[in-house]
This record gives sequence, structure tokens and C-alpha cells, in this order.
Amino acid sequence: MRSTWRRMWIGAWMSGLAVLISCAPAKQEVVFWQFWPVEVVQPLIDKFEKENPGLDVRMEQLTWQSGLEKITAAVAAGNAPDLCELGSTWMPRMLAAGQLVDWSAGVADLKSGLRGWELCAVGDALYGLPWVMGTRALFYNKTLFARAGLDSTRPPETWKELEEAAQKIQRLGGQVRGYGVQAGERYVLFKKFMPFAWGNGGRILSDDLRSSEIDSPQNREALDFYLGLRKVGLMERQDVLDRMFKSGQLGLQISGAWLVRSIPKDAPGLRYGVALVPRPDSERGTHASFAGGEVLVSFQQSKRKQAALQLARFLVRPDNALALAMAVQTVQPATLGADTTAYYRGNPEQLVMIRQFETAVPTPNHPAWVDMEEAIEDEVEQALHDRKSSAQALADAHRRLTELLAKGGR
Amino acid sequence: MRAQSPATSWGLLSPWIVAFALFGLYPFAFSLWASVTDYSPIRAGTQFVGLANYGRALADPAFWTALANTAFFVVGTIPFTTALALGLALAVQPAFPGRTFFRVGFFVPSVVSVVVLSLIFKGLYAGQGPVNAALRALGLSAPDWLLDPETALPAIMAMDVWSASGYYMIIFLAGLEAIPRELYEAARLEGASAWDRFTRITLPLLRPTLLFVLVVNTVRSLQIFAEVFVMTRGGPLHRTTTVVYYLYEQAFYRFDLGYASAVAYLLFAVTLGLAWAQMRLVRSEEPTR
Repeated sequence: MRSTWRRMWIGAWMSGLAVLISCAPAKQEVVFWQFWPVEVVQPLIDKFEKENPGLDVRMEQLTWQSGLEKITAAVAAGNAPDLCELGSTWMPRMLAAGQLVDWSAGVADLKSGLRGWELCAVGDALYGLPWVMGTRALFYNKTLFARAGLDSTRPPETWKELEEAAQKIQRLGGQVRGYGVQAGERYVLFKKFMPFAWGNGGRILSDDLRSSEIDSPQNREALDFYLGLRKVGLMERQDVLDRMFKSGQLGLQISGAWLVRSIPKDAPGLRYGVALVPRPDSERGTHASFAGGEVLVSFQQSKRKQAALQLARFLVRPDNALALAMAVQTVQPATLGADTTAYYRGNPEQLVMIRQFETAVPTPNHPAWVDMEEAIEDEVEQALHDRKSSAQALADAHRRLTELLAKGGR
Repeated sequence: MRAQSPATSWGLLSPWIVAFALFGLYPFAFSLWASVTDYSPIRAGTQFVGLANYGRALADPAFWTALANTAFFVVGTIPFTTALALGLALAVQPAFPGRTFFRVGFFVPSVVSVVVLSLIFKGLYAGQGPVNAALRALGLSAPDWLLDPETALPAIMAMDVWSASGYYMIIFLAGLEAIPRELYEAARLEGASAWDRFTRITLPLLRPTLLFVLVVNTVRSLQIFAEVFVMTRGGPLHRTTTVVYYLYEQAFYRFDLGYASAVAYLLFAVTLGLAWAQMRLVRSEEPTR
């Protein structure tokens, strides 16, 4: 009796399984890890699946707090996603580890349509596709400009104008401060100081990534200027500076497009403008900034590399990258010519971010970049806290970079 | 009662044994192995490097800075946490109206997530935050607590003392309840003062509890991480980089898991040494029977 029942059960299971197997279409699954809200990316995925009926995308959303750990653990366990979004500051480490798929051949035809290739290139080889870009620009409060007797339609274009504007606003007194000097946080500081150094013609490493060029007269001049901004403003963390800016207590600061998105919600009455990072002089230097962005990559261990590339190529298509950028507003498409679309022509603040990217500088793709970044931030922070002179700080940074270069990448 | 067969015992214990082997022993063995290799989770080709990772840590000034910060944290919080916890326990032990309210109130911080507490204190400590508003109202100078290299670590330590004392208060309360009332009654009849009763009865009989609090709190303080991760990320000027935060950065920013494991074992050795010393110290003072 009992065995009959068991046989019937097994039979039912087997036939059920057979039905399931025969009904399921032979779809290939592509695992895609990314950082944007699901509701923003899902429409793009639906569109992709409709265009590619043979592929089925399994998407997961990572967080910036724990995403890198999750990716690391997955790669270690051999479970890396087929396609993955990476922040550009993680790229040197990932490239050094040699786990990314060389896409040079598969993306060659896209080269003329996208910017940001520096973020995923080693020499001529391309290990990713630039998806969206993010940079930092100068934010200024028009109301405070007017109160301080400055022309609120003309943001500062040179270092001198920036310092003078900050000084006049600082003199308004009360809770109001002129310029927000970012401090007290790791992984952020170099993005705030290096724009001035790059704009002044300074560099971190030589072109061949073999020697340190951090201790240059250009960088010293830039650091002195950056340190001087403390006198016409205050030092604070990025989140505090952003909060002060939104509450109308901060005249000027370098920040990112996340402010453009959150101001209409948090401070709808705020009159503000976005401008390129000032350059040393109207005759000299560039409006440099930090070139960051999001890159799509595939891992060597992926078994569906072709499908991953197909999905990546779909996501960077002008219409799809624009749809993402419009929905999240904190980044801009890597598409060249995105600035001519109706959306950006109608959004001057976002448009400045695209313009700013044209003169932005990416960080060097050296395997030891994490340590280099830390060395630069350490030394600049020492100078910000008056523990070292600017000359000493850069000389020490040079010594540390040289040591790291001698050790090679590990 | 019939003695159970060993097989039954093992069988009943097996869920725990499996879980312990999987989530306790295996990671322990794996990290011990990793500490003598150049293992990196995202790079193929791991090589045995012997004790090189340990040598590298001992030669790295950043490791010593982290160890010094951690030592400062331990030395600067444990006496205060212990004293405050004992003081609170003595205050809320006798019966008085509203006693439960205070007991619960003091204990609440230890059931709140450290991350939540850290976020709250990050706001409290801000340059224009409530702490500074209060200080300014009193006419005192108001530093930017988490940005100033001199005040960042002490500010985190103050938060830790406040949030951890409630938990140890409960443990002290349990210890106090276990002391026989008769001893106090007898002492009172003999004319012993409150101070005498505290130093001659309460403290000696609380010694096992005190030992437990000291050891557990030392082990916990040596592993301080979440507060730093949320509030300062090791800055400013590495003044709040603790050993665990340092090894976290080595493991998850530099993917240098072999080296990070070696650092973890060095911290383990320090922890073991300190716990042993504390046990020796507190035990040796035990009255001879």
C-alpha cells in the first residue's frame, strides 16, 4: 500500500518535471548587477528582452555601501555576474586583478560615439563600456551673490574671482560662509583638490605612469590656493556642505549633480547656478574637474560573455543611456552629443555638468591607484589641518608615490 | 534515569556541530590559511608566502597607528564604561517608584543598532549640531568634533561609553542581586558605614561579575568598527583608524585578504593576551579562603 503511494508520487513528480522542461523555452539567462533603482532600469531591461527574445536578464540592485564587497565575494566564489556596473574609481583595482573581459574588438565600432573610454582602458585595450558620466562643478548661491554686491548672472571664472566672491559672501557674517572646503572624509578629498591642480596644468603621474609628477610648481600653487579658500569659507564634510548650500548658508562649493536633483525637492526656493570649475586665469589653464562615471564590464569567469556584451551595447545606446540619466538625474549619458538633446537644452544646470566633463580629468589607471589616492589625500589633509606646509605635503606625497611606483602594482 | 547512548547525544548535537563547523571552524581555518598566502579574492594564482604578511604588518607604521588608536580607545573607554555601569546599577538596584523606567531607559541604547546610534551622533556632533549649540549657549568653545583630529576619536569614545554602559549595568545588577542581603544587615548592625559596606562586601563579591565585564568589554572594544565606518571612515588624519577598520580596508578596498587575515590574527593574539592578563590580575586579588 505504502509503496504504491510512493510510486504514484514519484510518477506525478516526474511527469510534472517533464512538462515543465518541455514547456520552458530555451532562454539564456544573463545575470546583471547594477546600482540604480530597479524601477528605473527595469523598463530598459523589458525593452532589451523584447528586442532579444532569446535572452532573459536577471537583474540585481547593489548599494554603493556594500556593492564592492558583494562583487568581490562573488568573484572569489566563482559566481560573478555576467554583466556588472562598476564605479570608475574601482576600475584600477579591477583592471589590476586581471579578471575583466577584453572587449576591444566587440566595442570598437562604438568608439566614436561615446566619451569616457579612459575609465576602462589599459593602453589600447578596452575592458568596459562607459555608460554614464559624473563630474563635479561649481555651485553658487545667486541670492548671496546679490546680497554681497556681486553680479549673480556672472559666476566666477578664475581663481581670483572665486576667492573675491567667497570673501565678499563670507563678510556677510551671521551663519553665512563663503566657500565650502571639503574635509574629514576619505575617497572624496582628491576630487575636490585635484580639479584646481589639473586646471593649473598639474598632474599626478607621468603619461607612461612610471614616475610621480605630484610635486610640481603647478600643484604647489594649486594647493596654496586651495588652502587659502579656508580663510574665506569653512571646512566641512560633503553632506554638511550640501545641507548648508540648500539652506542658503553657503555661497560657493564644488559638488555634483545629486544637488541638482535634490534642490527642487529640499529647497525649492533656492536661487542657484552651476558653473565650470574656475581656472587659474582667463589666459591660462583649464576648467578641469574630476572625471568619474559608471562602466559596464564582464568577468572572465562569466559563461555568457557574448550575451553580456549584447546587453552592455544595448544599455549604452543613446536613447537608453539618456532614459537612465533623465530618470536618476545624478549622472549624464556617456553619449557624445547628448548635450544637444531637448532634455539637456531645457536643463541648463545638467548641461553644465556635460560641458564640465569635456575638460575633466580621469584618475590614472595604475594598479596601485588606491594607495596613491590615499597618499595624496593624507598629505593634502595634513596641509588642511596645518600639520604640514603645502610644499612639505607635496614633497611627502611625491616620496610616497615614488615608493609605490617602485613596488609596482600589487 | 537511563543514560542515553553516545549516538543519541551526537545526533541531537549534530545541527549545532554542522553549523559550527560550517560557520565557525571553516572560516577560522580558511583565514588562518589565507594569512600565510597572498590570497586575493579577485585574482587567480594564490601563493604561499609564509609569515611575510605578519612581518609586513609589524613593519607597517599604519598598522601601529591603528593599534595605538585601538589601545587609546580601550584604555579611554573601559574604566569609564565600567564605573558608569556600576554606578547606574547601584542607583537603580534599590526599590523606588519608577525604577523600571530608569532600568529600561539606561538599557535601551544597547539594543539600538550601532549604525543607527552612529548616524544620530554624527548629527549631534556636527559643527552646527545640538552639542555645539549647547556648548555655545554655555559660552564654551565648540570644536567640529568629528573633523578635528584631536577630538574625533574621543567623541566616538564618549558615544561608546554612553551606549555600552546600559548593557554592563544589567550584568552588574544581576551580580548585585546575587549578594546575600544578610551580609549588609550584619554589617549595618556592626556599625559599618555605607562606604565600608561597598568596599568590604559589594566589591569583593562582585569580583566575578567585574571580571566578566572587563573581559567582554575589552574584547568588544578591541573590535570597534561600525562606529568608525559610519562616522569618520578612519579620518581625520587616520586618527580614528582602528585595527579592524584598517584590516577591513586592506581586505575590501585593496583586496589584500591574505594580509588582512594576518592582521586579524595579530589582533587575536593581542586580545587573547589582554584577556589572560585581566583574568590573572582580577583572580590574584581574590581573598584566600
